[in-house]
Amino acid sequence: MSKNQHDRAHHAKKASGVGDPQCFRGEAGQAKFKNGDMVRIRDLPDIFYTRCQVYTRGAVGRITKVVYESPAAEDEAWDNTDHPEWFYSVVFRQHELWPDYPASYKNDTLETEFSERWLEQA
Amino acid sequence: MSDTHKAAPMVDEVSDFEILEMAVRELAIEKGLFSAEDHRRWIEYVHTLGPLPAARLAAKAWLDPDFKKLAVADGVKASLAVGIDWINGPPTKFGTPSDYCSFRVLEDTPKVKHVVVCTLCSCYPRTILGQSPEWYRTPNYRRRLVRWPRQVLAEFGLQLAADVEIRVVDSNQKTRYMVLPLRPIGTEGWSEQQLTEIVTRDCLIGVAMPQPGVTSNAKRPVHPAVHPIHAGH
Repeated sequence: MSKNQHDRAHHAKKASGVGDPQCFRGEAGQAKFKNGDMVRIRDLPDIFYTRCQVYTRGAVGRITKVVYESPAAEDEAWDNTDHPEWFYSVVFRQHELWPDYPASYKNDTLETEFSERWLEQA
Repeated sequence: MSDTHKAAPMVDEVSDFEILEMAVRELAIEKGLFSAEDHRRWIEYVHTLGPLPAARLAAKAWLDPDFKKLAVADGVKASLAVGIDWINGPPTKFGTPSDYCSFRVLEDTPKVKHVVVCTLCSCYPRTILGQSPEWYRTPNYRRRLVRWPRQVLAEFGLQLAADVEIRVVDSNQKTRYMVLPLRPIGTEGWSEQQLTEIVTRDCLIGVAMPQPGVTSNAKRPVHPAVHPIHAGH
């Protein structure tokens, strides 16, 4: 049974001189969320690989920036790059992430990015 | 090499990770994934990278409010002004697989202090900042900074007022970050070069703040080798 040779250079061909994630511009369709939206981090099954850190699951934060389009890390790890998503930068109060974060540091925050599948409206 | 003249070892210790890297590299070359020439070219490029361009970007932003606006809005474009091309830089022309081309400059204010970490691995904006320091890659830093930022920053000698917002930025996707720290008092009338000199790598990560007269990172303890290479054996 013959097998097609995997084209190791397919990503380089698409992204060379364009950049990554720039090479995925226009492929994710309409962004579901916008700056200022309050979102909750979903706790999706993440067998084998994820970049959505467990310390964020279930937390509510505010979108500070709609950053780029790219395949979700959970797809990209397996070379499934056909369905890019919008990525968002989300800021959380530290007290939201860690309930026993000292109350005297009430303004402390944490910001990190998520692909769209990990977010739901809060 | 004659019996009476042995070369002195260049390092105190070779770690298991370095041995693993050599083994994987040699296997990859044997399998034709890349050539030894490819690897040499890559290592030589990596050795050209360092924190000076990012320090200069900070100095330029301090001196020019319009450039600061650009730096915050479009870090990739602002990097071009200090000679760094995230997209077309060698050797790939699409950013390295782990540095990518999404670069954001985080502007500190009197009310907000940023500090950068990658809890996933130890992502770092190598293209404009060079190689990361050893401590940045340790679980000690990566696990603890997000949970106890004030305590970890205090270990670096940095303590901030309780009402300051310390914002930990976790670069675990494609964006890479540098901190644009606050310009310290005592630098009025300074040239771009003078300002560049006080923006150290640790200031650009966010664990230190620039000060007049301080032009290098604070010393970190160096532990003795566990399995030292002995000279003259």
